[in-house]
Amino acid sequence: MSNIEIDEPGTTQLLLGNEAIARGALEAGIGFATAYPGTPSSEIMATLAPIAKKMGIYAEWSINEMVAFEAASAASLSNIRALSSMKANGVNVIIDFLVNLQMTGIKKGLVLVVCDDPGGMTSSNEQDTRPIAKWLNIPLLEPSTAQECKDMTKWAFELSEELGMVCMVRSVTYLSHTRGNVRFEKLPDISMEATFADAYEIDNPKQSRFTCGMQFHPYKQSEALLKRFSKAQAHCEDSPFNSYNGPNTPELIIFTSGICWTYATEAVKILNLQDRVGIVKLGTTWPLPEEFVSRHLERSNKVLFIEEISPLVEQSVMELAASLPADRPRPTFYGKRSRHVRAWGEQDLNLVIHSIATVIGTSYRSRQSSSAEYQSTLKEVAQTLPARPLTFCPGCPHRASFWAIKIALQLDGRNGFVTGDIGCTAMGMISPGSFQVRTYYAMGGGVGIANGFGHLGQFGFRQPVIAVCGDSTFFHASIPGLINGVWNKSNFTLAILDNSTTAMTGFQPHPGTGMTATGEPGNKVNIEALCRSLGVHVEVCDPFDLTNTITTLLKLIKDDGNAKVVIFQHECELVRARRERKKPYHMYVDPSRCIGEECGCNRICTRVFSCPGLVWDRDTGKAVIDEAVCEGCGLCAEVCPQGAILKEAL
Amino acid sequence: MSARELSKDPLNVIIAGVGGQGNVLMSFLIGSALIRSGYFVTVFDNYGASQRLGAVASHIKISREDANTSPLLHEGDADVIVGIEPIELLRNLTRFGNPEVITIVNTRPVYPVSVISGDEEYPDLDKTIQTIRNLSAQSWIVNATEEAMKLGNSIYTNVILLGALLGSNAIPLDKETMEVVLKEEMPKAFDTNMLALHRGLDMVRNTMNE
Amino acid sequence: MGDNASKELYEEVIDSGLCTLCGGCTGFCPYFVIHEGRIVRLHQCKLTEGQCYQYCPRTSTDMDAISRHIFGIPYGEDEIGIAKEVFLARSTDPEIHQKAQDGGVVTSLLSVALTEGMIDGAVETKLDDEKVPRGFVARDREELLECAGVSYEPSPVLEAINYLPKENSEKFGFVGLPCHVASLSKMKLSPPDNRANIENVKLTIGLFCGWTLSHGFHRFLQERFDLSNAIKFDIPHHPAHSLDVYTKSETQSVDLDEITPFINKACSYCIDMTAEFADISVGSGRAMFKGWNTVIIRTKTGAEILDIAKGRQAIETQPIPAESLTNLKRASLNKKKRSLQNIISMTGGVDDLLYLGISQNLISKLLE
Repeated sequence: MSNIEIDEPGTTQLLLGNEAIARGALEAGIGFATAYPGTPSSEIMATLAPIAKKMGIYAEWSINEMVAFEAASAASLSNIRALSSMKANGVNVIIDFLVNLQMTGIKKGLVLVVCDDPGGMTSSNEQDTRPIAKWLNIPLLEPSTAQECKDMTKWAFELSEELGMVCMVRSVTYLSHTRGNVRFEKLPDISMEATFADAYEIDNPKQSRFTCGMQFHPYKQSEALLKRFSKAQAHCEDSPFNSYNGPNTPELIIFTSGICWTYATEAVKILNLQDRVGIVKLGTTWPLPEEFVSRHLERSNKVLFIEEISPLVEQSVMELAASLPADRPRPTFYGKRSRHVRAWGEQDLNLVIHSIATVIGTSYRSRQSSSAEYQSTLKEVAQTLPARPLTFCPGCPHRASFWAIKIALQLDGRNGFVTGDIGCTAMGMISPGSFQVRTYYAMGGGVGIANGFGHLGQFGFRQPVIAVCGDSTFFHASIPGLINGVWNKSNFTLAILDNSTTAMTGFQPHPGTGMTATGEPGNKVNIEALCRSLGVHVEVCDPFDLTNTITTLLKLIKDDGNAKVVIFQHECELVRARRERKKPYHMYVDPSRCIGEECGCNRICTRVFSCPGLVWDRDTGKAVIDEAVCEGCGLCAEVCPQGAILKEAL
Repeated sequence: MSARELSKDPLNVIIAGVGGQGNVLMSFLIGSALIRSGYFVTVFDNYGASQRLGAVASHIKISREDANTSPLLHEGDADVIVGIEPIELLRNLTRFGNPEVITIVNTRPVYPVSVISGDEEYPDLDKTIQTIRNLSAQSWIVNATEEAMKLGNSIYTNVILLGALLGSNAIPLDKETMEVVLKEEMPKAFDTNMLALHRGLDMVRNTMNE
Repeated sequence: MGDNASKELYEEVIDSGLCTLCGGCTGFCPYFVIHEGRIVRLHQCKLTEGQCYQYCPRTSTDMDAISRHIFGIPYGEDEIGIAKEVFLARSTDPEIHQKAQDGGVVTSLLSVALTEGMIDGAVETKLDDEKVPRGFVARDREELLECAGVSYEPSPVLEAINYLPKENSEKFGFVGLPCHVASLSKMKLSPPDNRANIENVKLTIGLFCGWTLSHGFHRFLQERFDLSNAIKFDIPHHPAHSLDVYTKSETQSVDLDEITPFINKACSYCIDMTAEFADISVGSGRAMFKGWNTVIIRTKTGAEILDIAKGRQAIETQPIPAESLTNLKRASLNKKKRSLQNIISMTGGVDDLLYLGISQNLISKLLE
């Protein structure tokens, strides 16, 4: 597909926003790149890691974003340009370190790339990370196109070095996962040498620049930070990434940043308002280039703000406007505050067209509405279309795990429940996981919250609690929670669903797999051994062995006032299938034994158990295996009460 | 290689299907071929849920002048919709279709788990195809999966549809450029991919368009 | 009225304290299982009509219809049901006596039926390794002996019938408590789909029952006594107030006050002490006739097997003294009256008798 390592300046390739960011980092001459998988950021490391060695770069999937960013900072402090990329929630995890790093500043360019997920399509929440940059005084850049992803990432390193502080490049799903024309520039020909210049000097002992507090006092470091940051504005004032396009005195001026600039531009064209509406593009969103902004504010007395997700630009520009001389005419501001732009969810071309049309007072009719009959037919048809809800892949061990958990909790009969965590295991919340997961928040949150539930016995709490997490999540954030439960004697069972990969985000490796980002083997960390070293009761099961798994769970969830661990060990089916290219079993249904809807079954296989490889044929009233989809794991054969689903070992 | 003129600028194409059917590869091949022909292309693939058999679609905007088209189509703005799966084509039609839309549909259904579990019903296939015809200005019905199986693997479905798209002349894609791209991107399977491409081409050229 | 399926079964019977754990709802579908003395619903079944509800002895039970089906006459006022013959009996086989609770008549009759080829197997109760009773199909003498002996905890015997696949054509004997027999009778009245032919149950033996003791009782006993040496258990008549455990060397006792907490409340709504719908009903000979069983023959089938058993000298019989029969009848009638009162207390009036479908006449008689 894309080939970002080539050194052919002037060529154009069709690159993803994320690939362009990676290319930008290469053109900036980075030597170090770290990340933790998180949609929509994962492609950045996935693109860099395979070519890292060849390009003389160190690239790593870290155990979590905190260590990733800390490691990247080390490179920056040692004269090596470094990049760290993550999704929004990852930035939450690094904030403590980030706040403190701001106290000292850095040396060589350090760029933090964050990919937000407006609308929360692939996240537990919807989060705008930009206010963190404003809050912490971090220069913030928002590319609008794939080309800018490259160009602005490259420039971010220069800016970071000029200012001596980390810079944030912020993307969103619709930018990271969009491909566009990207024209390459040359790759630098540099040799990199790393030294940490602030090691202890016997003849000149003093506190290192790269420490916080003590003799340097946080308040003094704050003052220094503001001084550093104040230089940022000058760099941003004449940045080519900020621009204006439109008539001299438009009726309406739009301030926009990031991908929204493309929506605004296209919307204005579609509405045919090129002569009436001007668009201010902000690429350097923070610090606000104040002269640039106030210049363009003068153009019109109607200002509309379009951005993802929170009204950051809106509020910052309004703050600026309030500080301008009182004799300046004050425009009317439209945006999220005035409810002309939706304050939640993802922006798109439809929404932006309607926001602009409303503010300027025109109407828009799409090509659909050119025919009322056509439009009403579309509406009718839309009602008849079945949804495609998420599910576990055929053969997924999590399907077996949640099935076993459900049965064990029902047999136990004390209203037990599961506290869930991030990843494929999160689908335990919905039908594929039998709706077993009842709380779901953040990485490590499952075992964390279970700690609390496990101490409510003195208030009459009798419900067994099973905390569920995946193997990658376990390493990322669940270890402290488990240790706390062991140490403080909390009554819960931690079920680690170990499928030997980080599946949800694209099968990245983690410490338990022994493989690293670049394909070089690392040292494997054994989850079972780690848990046993804590002195807790540890059981290991294959979730496909349902009887044994249920029996083990029933044993573990009996109250004994302690934290316990069960590891459901079975490889992710997609990884196994890709490697082995054959199925364990040939599955088929004997229709003469299938009683389907009738009493004695009520279609448990397709109605309750539900796997994409097992299809209900309404015409014959029988279950049938879809050979093209079935992975041959054999689990459904155990679910069928009539023994109608059969398996043949292959 | 001369670039053909666009019937409108930007020209908007949707490739719709189910996760795993190869819409991402398809849109990448189309985009790559088009930028070689000197076009600006924006391709958005929504693949957040693709691994788990979710509904997926790629939005492709093709322009001669505008380097910065936005990633998503807006209501009613599709010029061409290719459906690797019939319901997905219809789903995208209801959002992005208009009386002038051109459609190319593969007739092989993929059942969602909501249908499999009996919670929802999969609409009658013939009716679905007819509805697609009725809602399109031009429509090609292609049994791409069947043809792909004849070539040995359903994995060739999307290349057959690529051929069909070529044959329909709905977008300014030319065969030679596409062949070059196919050779570069997937050298190992080039011969079979060529068969698949031509099969799709022939199926459309031999059919009276509906 | 509403639906008659798993949800209603759960709400009206299992969760209402009426469930006797007969197992009539387990074994043939994946939704109900028995676990640690509870019926557990594993998943949601969405049917509105279900066999679980239909055959439960604690959902609407038309006693007249069942009685007509078996005896040709409506359900009457007989205290111990239709009784062609009542007598005492015991096995002549010393090996059976060793294992059996009283006279070993049940094991003996089944053994004869097996030998004669009248049945291919017997559906009975067997205690598993944890002393939890489960339904079991015994297909030879050795397996019959394994099932001999008492179980105080309720046994889901019917699961073993329910579990039989459609194609199974074996003939079976069946041993159960009055609630098991009632469920089986409902099945015979309206044969179930997708299961082995219920008419293959050729011989039904019911056991007298006053109440069962809840899950955990066997463990309680095991903790008290070394049960490996226990031969028999008995709860003697008033004025004794104990449960006696007979070992080879001695007899140990548990005060009844320690036992009463285990008594299943659901049993207090049951009007059938002697398993009135069985072919043969068998009870303890009580203290007066240690080592003997009280036997009631109800049907032609029952009479046939008795004759064969007597002919083969597998059992010996003696007449039941009048006083014993009177006592039995009185005890049975008292249970009917008490249980009816308990039902009325629960529902608040004679208009709603829960599952019990009996005639107005009989109701009045019992309320006298």
